[in-house]
Amino acid sequence: MARVWDAVVIGAGHNGLVAATCLARAGLSTLVLERRDGVGGAAVTEEIHPGFRCPTVAHAAGPLLPAVLRQLHLERHGLALLRPEVRLLALDGSGRALRVYDDPARTARAGGLGPREAERYVELLTVLRRLGAVLRPLLGRPPPAVDRLAPGELLGLLGVARRYRCLPRRDRYRLLRWPPMPVADLVREWFDDALLQAAVAARGVWGGALGPMAPGTGLGLLLQAALDGQATLPAAFVRGGPGALSEALRTAAQQAGAEVRTGAEVMRIAVLGGAARGVVLRGGEEIASRVVVSACDPRRTFLGLIDPAELDPAFVGRVQAYRCSGSAAKVNLALAALPAVPALAGSAEGAARLLSGRLHIGPDLEYLERAADAAKYGEMSPRPLLDVTIPSLLDDSLAPRGAHVMSVYLQWAPYRLRRGDWPSRRQELGEIVLSALQDCFPNLRSLVVACQVLTPHDLEDTYALTGGHPFHGEGGLDQFLFRPLLGATRYRGPIAGLYLCSAGTHPGGGVTGAPGLNASREILRDLR
Amino acid sequence: MSKPYDVVVIGGGHNGLVAAAYLARAGRRVLVLERRHVVGGAAVTEEVFPGFRFSVCSYVVSLLRPEIIRELDLTRHGMEILPLDGTFTPLPNGDYLWRHNDHHATRREIARHCRLDAEAYEEYAMAMVEMARFVKPILGMVPPDPARLFQLRELLPVLRRFLRLPEADQHNLVQLMTVSAVDFLDAWFETDALKATMAASGIIGTFLGVRSPGTAYVLLHHYMGEIDGVFRSWGLSRGGTGGISEAIAAAARAAGAEIRTEATVQKVLVRGDRATGVVLAGGQEIAARAVCASIDPRALFLGLVGAEHLPDELVEEVRRYKLRGSSGKVNLALDTLPSLSCLPGPGPHLRGAISISPSVDYMERAYDEAKYGRFSRRPYIDIVIPSLTDPSVAPPGKHVMSCFVQYAPYHLREGNWDDLREEFGDTVIETLSEYMPNLREIILHRQVLTPLDLEREFGLSEGNIFHGELSLEQLFFLRPVPGWAQYRTPLRGLYMCGSATHPGGGIMGAPGRNAALCLLADWKRGRI
Repeated sequence: MARVWDAVVIGAGHNGLVAATCLARAGLSTLVLERRDGVGGAAVTEEIHPGFRCPTVAHAAGPLLPAVLRQLHLERHGLALLRPEVRLLALDGSGRALRVYDDPARTARAGGLGPREAERYVELLTVLRRLGAVLRPLLGRPPPAVDRLAPGELLGLLGVARRYRCLPRRDRYRLLRWPPMPVADLVREWFDDALLQAAVAARGVWGGALGPMAPGTGLGLLLQAALDGQATLPAAFVRGGPGALSEALRTAAQQAGAEVRTGAEVMRIAVLGGAARGVVLRGGEEIASRVVVSACDPRRTFLGLIDPAELDPAFVGRVQAYRCSGSAAKVNLALAALPAVPALAGSAEGAARLLSGRLHIGPDLEYLERAADAAKYGEMSPRPLLDVTIPSLLDDSLAPRGAHVMSVYLQWAPYRLRRGDWPSRRQELGEIVLSALQDCFPNLRSLVVACQVLTPHDLEDTYALTGGHPFHGEGGLDQFLFRPLLGATRYRGPIAGLYLCSAGTHPGGGVTGAPGLNASREILRDLR
Repeated sequence: MSKPYDVVVIGGGHNGLVAAAYLARAGRRVLVLERRHVVGGAAVTEEVFPGFRFSVCSYVVSLLRPEIIRELDLTRHGMEILPLDGTFTPLPNGDYLWRHNDHHATRREIARHCRLDAEAYEEYAMAMVEMARFVKPILGMVPPDPARLFQLRELLPVLRRFLRLPEADQHNLVQLMTVSAVDFLDAWFETDALKATMAASGIIGTFLGVRSPGTAYVLLHHYMGEIDGVFRSWGLSRGGTGGISEAIAAAARAAGAEIRTEATVQKVLVRGDRATGVVLAGGQEIAARAVCASIDPRALFLGLVGAEHLPDELVEEVRRYKLRGSSGKVNLALDTLPSLSCLPGPGPHLRGAISISPSVDYMERAYDEAKYGRFSRRPYIDIVIPSLTDPSVAPPGKHVMSCFVQYAPYHLREGNWDDLREEFGDTVIETLSEYMPNLREIILHRQVLTPLDLEREFGLSEGNIFHGELSLEQLFFLRPVPGWAQYRTPLRGLYMCGSATHPGGGIMGAPGRNAALCLLADWKRGRI
């Protein structure tokens, strides 16, 4: 008789691997099935040109949930985190370079901010840390089921309530007022410096379709900041790129006893009598299991892998309305040498050290908003928001000596174009990025050895990100509070034995591992 | 010296009058002070041109709470609401979309555009009634203070009601509270013009676009109107909108309130931590045990009270309170009826609202222009011709036409409203002429009200018709500012009763009623 697994995990992205590790550790026979030849999903390092290896999709690892690092002993499995000295360098193309360090006092002292801005910056970070301390426990647990609270959950919630009560009165209001606000209004309340406003707002809109003037983007900033107490995007890299993190996760999963099969594409989730019983692979192989855990996005899971007859039409309608249309694109460059940055010419710190973190290109809020506007109408802005890293500066394993790889994340490239299609406009996208980088890196073009362009459609086709959405669906107030949607919250859907563990579940996207960890805990609770 | 008043109400707008009526009925000695020569605030009828009587600002009614109509017996005091027949959207391709009050006719009309939408419309209408039914009791609530966890228990009944809803309703409610009007409507409909016209009620009084999250709530806000128990029916007041204010004023007077027009309040008298009366422009002091202000918080706290009497925190919150008026009004006196090119000649389609909202992108582009500080070159316009329903407002054979225009941002990036008033008027006429070719020839007079005019004439700070945006961070327990959402202020005896308090704007009367009941409760407890 064919073997029946305890758990089959669909997709070996970082969340799938985290979930598999936890399940296997609890003694469940666990099988991970990955469509591609390697693991990692969107956290991969791939060769874009002979000798040049680049984080093709996600370029920073994290902020990983500390619990994931700790519980999975990833460092023992070969994970080496790299922390650049400068967290973020914001360039405005006119010669200004704003430096953000992990230490707020250092940013205030040496970041290039005016005295008032510096003071406000430190104050904002203090507030964000206080608010983060209340929010963080919520991210490491499933969203509360308000209708039937288990005693353990109630205790957890009481803990959150206690923390809330310990907040200064003004912070309690901030916790309610900030999430629905446009992040642009929020940063304007704090700063006058246009570049600083834009760099902080970028964290609120990152990965989503909305511009900084759209309500609800305050939530994005608050949630991201809850993870690390910082106001700007994180710069935590992994030696060997994010792919090395995925490899460490694979090792952790295997050592825990899970089996990882690559090149195995799941075509269908087998449902019998309203319960998931296993999966069917391309080629027809059937694999039976007690539970099925999908690390695919909610749309793919419910609309792509399940026979619609097994689902309530109203639920299907809601999944169809789930906002999952991405606006992210990637351009990865192989460079013959480090490009010159005039803005850093007179800097005492070496340019290489300053460039080793994250680079923000988007000079002010209006620039960001206009870039988002274009996408609303299915157009590409000639001046997009760029989030750039040069990982080879800290990690010489990625490029030949003296040469570099540059990983450029571009926001807002609409999944649905009004004019033409993505294959025919791929070149144009690469050109837009090179032009937008021109002001900050004047000699960049002459250094390009190879250029890989990943359009939203490529992200969908190659990395199975439905709609090209890097976070498996928009954040936003509703899709955060009830992620992904009512009827499928708390990692469970309408089908018994089917669980979700992807970035499309609470607490959402980014290389955090939190959804995988939370989901595995819920699964084990159900099986016990 | 005469006996001091119990309560002085600042501002004879509809909310001020409602509050006065309730206070007087409870036996308080009440004086209403109105700066202008007529009562009604933004709900007035004025003979701007001889023989033509305009509902100068607010022009349609539906939101007025039925309990107020009943308790103040407004019908006996002369209020009469005439039904407005449907909404007619002319389209640039020569077609139109006509939603009648007759449900079956609307169904047939929508089916002409899209068969599926006609079915969805039915379901949508039923769903919205459920939603409005859920939210209605919240309108009459005094919001709890979210900083005090203990007070939040007042929300438990709301939570309990939510949990008892079917899952589909829960989902709709969550969506309504968080997403954009277009995202919400996308889940139901396909016809672009239908979505655009319906989404239009989601942006009124906000500085947001139809694609901005939070506008679905405003859509619901405008759905909560009832006339004779029918949800979502709009009407015109006989004799213009001022008729409603007159009826409320009559009810207040009948209960013993005194109403003085052309009495500008210059200052709220403060002694220690309490308000003791007001000072008029001429210097006359009027003592009162309580002061109830129906003006917006900026005008009240920064204008009449003075920052020196208030905690810094409140002053800071009031300064950042978003007023940002976004609309203007163009009132036309017409020689004869306009003729629409898509349905020429007179007819019942002119008796309802005519909405210039041909597509979602049209609406969104109108917003994008305003976002960067210009008035929309092709704005959203909502038109009514009240003289068709109520011939008393114009000379025989002639007509008045009222055009609500959005977006007209109070803060212009270039130029000022005094110089741009006529250009703005021309833009509106130009836009309308695209649909009504004979319009230019039949205009006898035109009155253009920019947001600046609304501020000067009607005391609406920054020209915001709702005394502050109905954006998510300014609703319920955050309206107008966190910590002061219970109609009370830091000064004993000073109350707010205008549209800036929960549940917000429109001719609703709920803020006035809630505030009066709050004041009376405090009075009973000896807190005044």
